[in-house]
Amino acid sequence: MTTQPDSELPSVEVGLIRAHVFASLATLLISVGFGITAATKFNFPDFLGGHAWLTWGRLRYNHTQGIFFGWLGNAFLAFLYYVVPRLANRPVLSRRLGWFLFWIWNCAVVLPGWVLVAAGFSQPLEWAEFPLVVDAFVVLAFIVMVFEFVLPFLRARLSDLYVSAWYILGGIIFTLLAYPVGNVVPELVPGARGAAFSGLWIHDAIGLYVTPLALAIAYYMIPAVTGRPIFSHFLSMVGFWVLFFTYPLNGTHHYVYSAIPMAAQKGAIIASVYLGMDVILVVTNLLLSIRGSSGAVGRDVPLRFVWCGVVSYLLVSLQGSVQALMPVNRFIHFTDWVIGHSHFAMIGFASFIALGGIAHVWQRIPGTRYNERTMNWSFWLLTVGLTLMVADLTIAGLVEAQVWASSAPWIESVRAVASYWLIRTFSGLPILAGFVLFWASLISGPRPSAATAIAASHEASEDIAAPEGEASIAREALSPGRFSYAHVVIFGAGVGFFALSFLVLAILPGKELEDEIERVAPVTMPALTASEQRGRVVYGREGCAYCHTQQIRSLADDVRRFGAPTEAWETKYDYPQLWGTRRIGPDLSREFNVRSRDWQLTHLYNPRLVVRDSVMPPYSWLFNGGPDRPTEEGLDVLAYLESLGRARQLSGFERQALGSSVQTGTSDMAMASEPSARATPPTVPIAMTGGYSVSAPILHPASDPDDLRDEVGRGGALFAANCASCHGPAGLGDGKASASLLPRPANLTAARFADERLSSVLWNGVAGSSMPPWRQLPTEDLRALVAYIQSLHLPSAVPSTQEDTSPNEGESLFAANCASCHGASGAGNGPAAGVLAPAPTNFHLKRPTKERVWEVLENGLPGTAMPPWTSQLSADQRHALVGFVRSLYGPPKEGQGR
Amino acid sequence: MIDLIVIVMSAIVLALVVGWWRWPAFRVWIEAPKYSMLRQERRFDDRNARRTAA
Repeated sequence: MTTQPDSELPSVEVGLIRAHVFASLATLLISVGFGITAATKFNFPDFLGGHAWLTWGRLRYNHTQGIFFGWLGNAFLAFLYYVVPRLANRPVLSRRLGWFLFWIWNCAVVLPGWVLVAAGFSQPLEWAEFPLVVDAFVVLAFIVMVFEFVLPFLRARLSDLYVSAWYILGGIIFTLLAYPVGNVVPELVPGARGAAFSGLWIHDAIGLYVTPLALAIAYYMIPAVTGRPIFSHFLSMVGFWVLFFTYPLNGTHHYVYSAIPMAAQKGAIIASVYLGMDVILVVTNLLLSIRGSSGAVGRDVPLRFVWCGVVSYLLVSLQGSVQALMPVNRFIHFTDWVIGHSHFAMIGFASFIALGGIAHVWQRIPGTRYNERTMNWSFWLLTVGLTLMVADLTIAGLVEAQVWASSAPWIESVRAVASYWLIRTFSGLPILAGFVLFWASLISGPRPSAATAIAASHEASEDIAAPEGEASIAREALSPGRFSYAHVVIFGAGVGFFALSFLVLAILPGKELEDEIERVAPVTMPALTASEQRGRVVYGREGCAYCHTQQIRSLADDVRRFGAPTEAWETKYDYPQLWGTRRIGPDLSREFNVRSRDWQLTHLYNPRLVVRDSVMPPYSWLFNGGPDRPTEEGLDVLAYLESLGRARQLSGFERQALGSSVQTGTSDMAMASEPSARATPPTVPIAMTGGYSVSAPILHPASDPDDLRDEVGRGGALFAANCASCHGPAGLGDGKASASLLPRPANLTAARFADERLSSVLWNGVAGSSMPPWRQLPTEDLRALVAYIQSLHLPSAVPSTQEDTSPNEGESLFAANCASCHGASGAGNGPAAGVLAPAPTNFHLKRPTKERVWEVLENGLPGTAMPPWTSQLSADQRHALVGFVRSLYGPPKEGQGR
Repeated sequence: MIDLIVIVMSAIVLALVVGWWRWPAFRVWIEAPKYSMLRQERRFDDRNARRTAA
């Protein structure tokens, strides 16, 4: 930078700084409000649940996009207007262009983005949720930023360019290149191939935009406040180039153990480790820059914010490097650990540094107020809130991972972390209060004394001038003409690094995937129907992919729980990909044929009707007042859900996978290669002919009365938690969900069930009904449930041994009218039974009460093949059948059913 | 490919470190911006102080 009279110093656009500061704080508070509301819904999922625009998914989209564009975007722009004239020794290009940028950023990106997302127009892509029309304005804004902030550096020589300027130039240019690719390409490239591009942007959003601009602030503020130069500009430049080289290569670490080629996964992991080492270098340099001035961290609250942000940067980056490693990733990925990590990064690192930067600038522009006491309170509230939130989510993630690794039903992981979610919501309150106080500190208190500020910043002025002479000589010697222009270097590097990252992590893996899909995909693989495609749009719009992955990883725990790993060809029609990076609910890749339509619709209408402790939002706007009255959109979502995994099942892939996996059995897939686990995900009901399946263990309740009493007690608690939503609290089949399920949930008091029957139903579910398998529960729990259900059999319904009609008449009526389905002996294995779902009752394993048999003969069983018999059989004949059917209970007698 | 990138990256960093260690002029040159940044910051602060005082 050339020495010049102060009168020739470039002007600073104070009005634009103020406007962006206020916009940043306003959008910050709104975004945090979105976040706290979304967090509240984890414990109170019906809170504001009736309004589509306030549903969890849309709030989640607006929360992260608001933080990214509204808060951090405006905060960084405010700092750029302050720092670019200082670093470039030239004013920003144009005040008018600056206001144009301000209005684009806030009125064409942030506000319309929020409104459109709330109205249901969005992209289900992480950090790219604003719809494409908004993306166009984001790109325009970055082009304007190039003119406004990059052009002032046009004549800067490499030897004049301070590290903050490098980060500013790099951040703007790299983001301009990365943004369209991360936001547009996944719309054009499907499934696994698109995920490779999404992975790039997920990390580039943080690594090429947030991180460089936050580090630009840190590198600027520390010497500006302490009055001492940074420890080493050389190390800062090494840190800069390594960061920009390795960050774009990180993205695929979000898809470890996925269908993306392993070379790309490993490359991303190695880049993550390299990045961790680079961050150690950067942070060491920054912290050493405070050496001898550590007292300033205590005195100067803005510097304290920055110091805290730098320390957070070190911790969160090392955490990121570690969690990219396969042994860690397999355990904690998809859990709340990752949510804690991202909050640590976005609040602890980026927001703390942005807050410090804003406060620093605010003190140094004319006409502003600054209340240090309030600012101090803001710092401590934010620190306490952040620490609580990150610790809480990290522990919650470990708990979730532990439950997922067990055989417990999915809902157990939701129950296990409910209290952690509550603490997380409460931890948001001090954070919100801290942000409010931060704003208050900028509009209250005295106007800072300029003389005081200068005195503080010039504490160590004698350090500044000494090396200049040597530097000039060195500059002349080492700055040949072709490297005179820094922007050329950074632009060339930006394009080059970016091209490299695309080549390594997106284009080469994409080509490999394309070849694999062409080779493996069944030629008959059906594309989505129009209804399924519309349902997919609704699924994306409501943020379903942010709680349910469609990505079964090549891990034993995943395969045991959800089925065979997701292969690239399965996603060949997914525009954009919906793999997801988080699991609050289970993976849905294999949803085809798993649940009945009634169950799905009831679950969409209000999940707690069928799953008591579910935290899924209700989607009542997809229905006309009840779960049995879905709108067209509701039916579209249902159609889409029922299409997930269809191609794989219809193509016979499961059978092939089973055969091959049994042979291989690597250590990682050892559990998955168990035939029963791999071929049949635990949530798929198995059709049972004859009322039971030989694959199910027979669970006999305890014979000792005391043990039986204990089992019944425990079974009651399990029943209330897992079964009462459908079967009702007393087992009468009148649970909250029963009204919309066909066939209706069984009235468990109206029959005596054999151990074999209950064991089979609990183990396999009931195909053709909403009853799912429960074999994820421990065997002792299943046994307790058998004991409890058998205890429900009402004493008043216990039949006499004497039936009041002739058994022979009943037997002949049964043979003539019922045996084709129920079998000649009443074992549920008649000639027609094989095609019926639910399967006909095996009366040897289930003895209904007289009232129940009579009711069924009168009315049939809606939702099953059982018709009413009032028009075919007289009342006497039906009475005869009642007696005969009930007499069948127990092992078949000799000659029965000839 | 990944191995190549890692090797090239490590080699570049190593070359920079060796250059910094063996070539004092390079060291002075690359450290210069941290001083000029501070001088510039002081000029701006001085101007602001004079404006505020006025």
